[in-house]
Amino acid sequence: MAYSDKVLDHYSNPRNVGSMDKNSRDVGTGLVGAPECGDVMKLQIKVNPQTSVIEDAKFKTFGCGSAIASSSLATEWVKGKTIDEALQIKNTEIVQELSLPPVKIHCSVLAEDAIRAAIHDWKKKNGTTEKTAAPAEAKASP
Amino acid sequence: MPGDATTTCWSCGDMRAAHFCSSCGKVQPPAPVDYFTFFGLPRKLNLDTAALEVEFYELSRRLHPDVYGRADSKEQHWSLEKSSQLNDAYRILKDPIRRTEYLLRLEGIELEEQSKTATEKARNTGELKKQIVPPELLEEVFNLNMELQELRTQRQMGEDDPALIEELGRQKLELERKFEALSKELRTYWDEWDQAVENGNDQERRKVRDKMVDLLNRRNYIRNLVRDVNEGLET
Repeated sequence: MAYSDKVLDHYSNPRNVGSMDKNSRDVGTGLVGAPECGDVMKLQIKVNPQTSVIEDAKFKTFGCGSAIASSSLATEWVKGKTIDEALQIKNTEIVQELSLPPVKIHCSVLAEDAIRAAIHDWKKKNGTTEKTAAPAEAKASP
Repeated sequence: MPGDATTTCWSCGDMRAAHFCSSCGKVQPPAPVDYFTFFGLPRKLNLDTAALEVEFYELSRRLHPDVYGRADSKEQHWSLEKSSQLNDAYRILKDPIRRTEYLLRLEGIELEEQSKTATEKARNTGELKKQIVPPELLEEVFNLNMELQELRTQRQMGEDDPALIEELGRQKLELERKFEALSKELRTYWDEWDQAVENGNDQERRKVRDKMVDLLNRRNYIRNLVRDVNEGLET
């Protein structure tokens, strides 16, 4: 399958690859996976507690070119945004920006999930009140 | 005999027939049925594969296009089409995992669609999306991938770290054990599923269906991971 130029660019020259200390209070970590293809994506954000601005973002993704490009783009986009702004990012915007074909839409979904999971983790650490959701569990309810 | 009789025979108009007319024996036109129906089976997961094989060979023989060498072109065409339907059905049903995945698709499971909808819901409600793959497994997948990457980098520089190779080998065994355990667990769900089908319990049916989806997702991950580790360990 042919990748778009933008995917190729992010794939061969990914932005913000790396990791941050996940135990740091300012760092939120999102680890998500797409069972359809076995991809796994880790996205981390460093948030300024006073302003709620995401000052830095890192990712590491094991997966196809589209998954790598989606997460690379996601780190670029969240940087400089407040967490509330970052929560507005939609997977469809990633699809558009990278011209992802329909079979790769799940990669963009994964990237959006990763952003949300990272923000959720940060909020939890910093005691920001948030609606509690069902915890991700290994098994469906018995 | 295969299949529930569904129509009257096109040729003699007599008995209702599935693959062959039970009265005049003529081949019947192909119908767009699912693979379970093709073999006249209920939508259950425990399946006598030995009996299925016998049935497959029997139908193969009777549907074989060679048999229809002198039949009219309509029948020749049907035998060809039905033979290919038969091969597809057998290939899917004889394999326990493919059979389960196929059944889940019949039951309307579209994994990707589900995932997308769940993400949209999370965006609208601000709740955290429940990840299909449990976090511990993701963590493990991630770490193992890191180690594999390290191994590859080392190899590129012409080095080999025996400790790392040993560690990966150990983890691979562990994964294979997990894989086995999941396969066993799946079989207990088969029993639950078949029970629910028998009892016509739709609520239970959906519950078991979701459990199987969940399990197959985890299984996919582990399978891919074992494959990657094997590739990584090959010199």
